[in-house]
Order: sequence, then C-alpha cells, then structure tokens
Amino acid sequence: MAPATETFLRDEKDLSSIWDAYERGDRRALARLLTWAENPQYRPMLYQRLRSRTQQPGSFVLAITGSPGAGKSTLIGKLLPGIRQRGHTVAVLACDPRSPVSGGALLGDRIRMPVMVEDQGVYIRSLAAPPGRQGIAENLDIRLALLERFGFDWIIVETIGVGQADVAIGDLVDCVTLLIPPESGDEIQWEKAGLLEVADLVVVSKGDLPGAGRTAAQLQQTLNLPGFPAKPILVVSAAKGTGLSDLVQQLETSPRRRQQEESQARRLLLLAQEILAQRFRERRELVAQLMEMARQQGWDDWQAASQLARGLMANHAADSP
Amino acid sequence: MNASSKRIVLAKVGLDGHDRGIKVVARALRDAGFEVIYPGLWLSPEAVVRVVAEEDADWLGISILSGAHLILVPKVLDLLRQQGLSHVRVVVGGTIPEEDVPALLACGVEKVFGPGSPLSDIVGYFRGSQPVPQT
Ligand SMILES: Nc1nc2c(ncn2[C@@H]2O[C@H](COP(=O)(O)OP(=O)(O)OP(=O)(O)O)[C@@H](O)[C@H]2O)c(=O)[nH]1
Ligand SMILES: [Mg+2]
Repeated sequence: MAPATETFLRDEKDLSSIWDAYERGDRRALARLLTWAENPQYRPMLYQRLRSRTQQPGSFVLAITGSPGAGKSTLIGKLLPGIRQRGHTVAVLACDPRSPVSGGALLGDRIRMPVMVEDQGVYIRSLAAPPGRQGIAENLDIRLALLERFGFDWIIVETIGVGQADVAIGDLVDCVTLLIPPESGDEIQWEKAGLLEVADLVVVSKGDLPGAGRTAAQLQQTLNLPGFPAKPILVVSAAKGTGLSDLVQQLETSPRRRQQEESQARRLLLLAQEILAQRFRERRELVAQLMEMARQQGWDDWQAASQLARGLMANHAADSP
Repeated sequence: MNASSKRIVLAKVGLDGHDRGIKVVARALRDAGFEVIYPGLWLSPEAVVRVVAEEDADWLGISILSGAHLILVPKVLDLLRQQGLSHVRVVVGGTIPEEDVPALLACGVEKVFGPGSPLSDIVGYFRGSQPVPQT
C-alpha cells in the first residue's frame, strides 16, 4: 500500500486521515479506530462521525455467551466457514477478562478461530473486558457501530463467561445465544440465572458429550412452559460439526432486537452510566468536595448520590454539545 | 496515556509444537499490565501478520524453537513492511544462537532474547521501552 498509509498509522493524533482510510475500507484503519474507541479523548469525535449510521440493511449482531469454558470460541470458529459460505462477511469481537489486579489481559479466544489467511471477509479482534462490566468490553457500542459501518453482514460478540450477570449485552445486539454445556446445573439454577431470560436462543454445546440430550430435555421443560413465548433449544457439537447449519439457519431468521425502541433507549442508558463513571474518575476534586458537603449537611446516601450525579453532569465544558 | 501501546501479539511461527515458554512469557506480561494476544501454534508468517493487523498490535513477539528463524523472521518483517505495518516493534525469542543475532537485528528486529533469558529481563524490556516514533 501507499507509504502515506504507514504514516497515518504511526501518527497517534491524526483522526481524520485514519477516518478517511476507514471509510475507504482500509482494515488497518478499522483496527486503529477499534483501539481508539476506548480512548475518552476520541470517543465524542467518533460518535459524531458515526452519527449517520446509514448502513442498509445493517449488520446482524449476535452475542454468544455462556459460562467459562462452555465452548463459545470453538463454536464461533466452527460457524465462520458456514457463514462465509452463505455469502456473508463477518467480524468477531472476542472478549476475555482483564485482570483486576494488573490491568493486563491474556486474550486467547482466537486460537480456536482459524481462518483462511487470504479471506478478507472475516475480521477477528480480541478485547479485554474489565471486571464488573457484566462480561462485555467497555465501549462495545461504539465498536459495534464501527464494524457495522465498515459493512460486515454479521458481527459476533463473544462475551466472557460470567454466567449469571451478563444481561446488559441484550440491549446492544440483535440476538443473544446462550451456550449451556451438558450436565452444568439443574433446573433451579437455570431459573435463577438471569441469562436464560435474556437469551433468544439456547444452545446445548458439546453435544457429543454424554448427558447433552438430557440437558436439552431439562431446558425444554424449564423454558417452554405454556403461556410463555417459546425459546428454541438446539444441541450442537462443535467437535463433531453436528447441528451447526441448523444453528446458522435459525440465526438468519431470528428477529432483530436492536430495532426495538426500548432497546435503543436502554443502550443510551448504558452510555449515560459510562459517562457518569468516567467523570467520576476524572473529577476527583469535585467528588472530594461533595463528600465533604455530604458530611457537613448530613445528607443521607440517596441525597448524596443525587447531588453527586448532578455535580458530575454540571458544567463540564469538555464534552458538552 | 496511550492504551494502544500496551497490546502485544505473542506468536509462535513455524512448525515446532512447544508452547510452554511462550505461555509463561504471556502470563508474565499480562501480570505486568499488558494486553497479550495469543493466537496459537503453527502459524505461517502470513497468518501472524494478519493477526497483528487485525489486533492493531504495537508489538509482535515471535518465538521460534525450530531453528528456522533466519528464514521465518525476515519473512515476517518483509510482510509487515509490505502491508504498511512497519510501526510494529518486533522482538524475537527462542533458541537463537548468538551468531545469528546480528542478522536478525539487521532485518529490523529490535531485540533478541536467546535461550535462558530471565523472564524479568523480557518483562523489563517491554516495560522500559516507551513507544518511539520511527522515521
Ligand atoms: N467434547 C467437546 N468439547 C468441546 C466442544 N467445543 C469446545 N470444547 C472444549 O471445551 C473447552 C473450552 O472451549 P472454548 O471454546 O475455549 O470455550 P469458551 O467458552 O470460549 O471459553 P472461555 O472463552 O475461556 O470462557 C476446550 O477444551 C474445547 O476443546 C465440543 O463440541 N465438544
Ligand atoms: Mg473463549
């Protein structure tokens, strides 16, 4: 490629030339913007440029979730060829946990997703998900928007397997697929885990292992009660390659959540919470002042928190519109 | 702070199947606060460069135990240059004889960690070197 490209990748501050390259379909520029998506300095500008989200018909965004080791990466790796065969391009965002101690991360999901080196219709990116973020990487929303605008037909998000709490993802994607390996709990546990409710589709993974059929039958009993909307339950073995095309077919026809208004509003709520958290980290003085005031005035926690929220949102010149 | 200066792809290139060493290094770098992307065994130079591009890595650590470093490493560096990725800093580790080090440095490798390099040296190297704009 042109030498100019190299310079833009080196120059950390040059958003507009990276953006231009991204708009021309340069995958390196896409990669760089996905990195910058977590930089508070660039995010308002990125949102501004993404404002015209005019992709038609837009990507199908799929989340694959499930407990650690449930088989998420392996399954995604096995789905990729089938998705490509149907003529779709596909991007994968693979999240692994970030260490709460060091801030570092070991991102190994893509080991299980071999791709043809020359196939430009697949893009895989590893992301670190901070602890306490419900199993999804920070700034996932903007990253999805970047991939969608780039033109991928499918976007698959692998969440970290936090099992019970990974519910926020539902508002960012079109379809949540939950993986449950055989013999991984009983009815009551599934009932308690909020994920079952969020899932649009339940897959019993590792279908080659003994107990897969029984697990599927139990799920069937738990989930598909009279009076509740039916939830598809599939048994898939990534190892044996069984059930894969059924799954892709099911996904292709799945209803798209993101088009729901409610979902869009909750997406903004996530963003609003993020803005608040970011300002909390940035504005230590203000927070200290407020804590002092709370003590002096004898505010209860609810009052103090309301004041805190108000204070954090007030007169912040840097990113008011 | 530049978050992107902390992404390291650690790859094994070529046909040997020993990954203990690289996994130990990966873990140590994670504990030192880096984001380490580990794409697995038996990668071709083309596949490694693809991973580097997709991950927007700032560093590529290549581990080679097969003895083919004088063929594979220059190949990787050529591909990086061809694809406009010469800002990526490359470090090589593994069974590299002392006499091969100059050739590797000459083709663009920044640092070679030979057999028996202490883990603390490797981590210290990544920690100590701030990204410098190359021209
Ligand atoms: N028997 C069998 N084992 C499988 C299957 N799919 C995955 N596994 C194994 O299950 C283990 C975990 O697989 P991964 O794909 O890494 O699971 P994951 O959910 O991505 O794991 P995390 O990302 O660490 O949460 C590996 O040892 C796989 O080989 C399958 O279909 N059958
Ligand atoms: Mg995984």
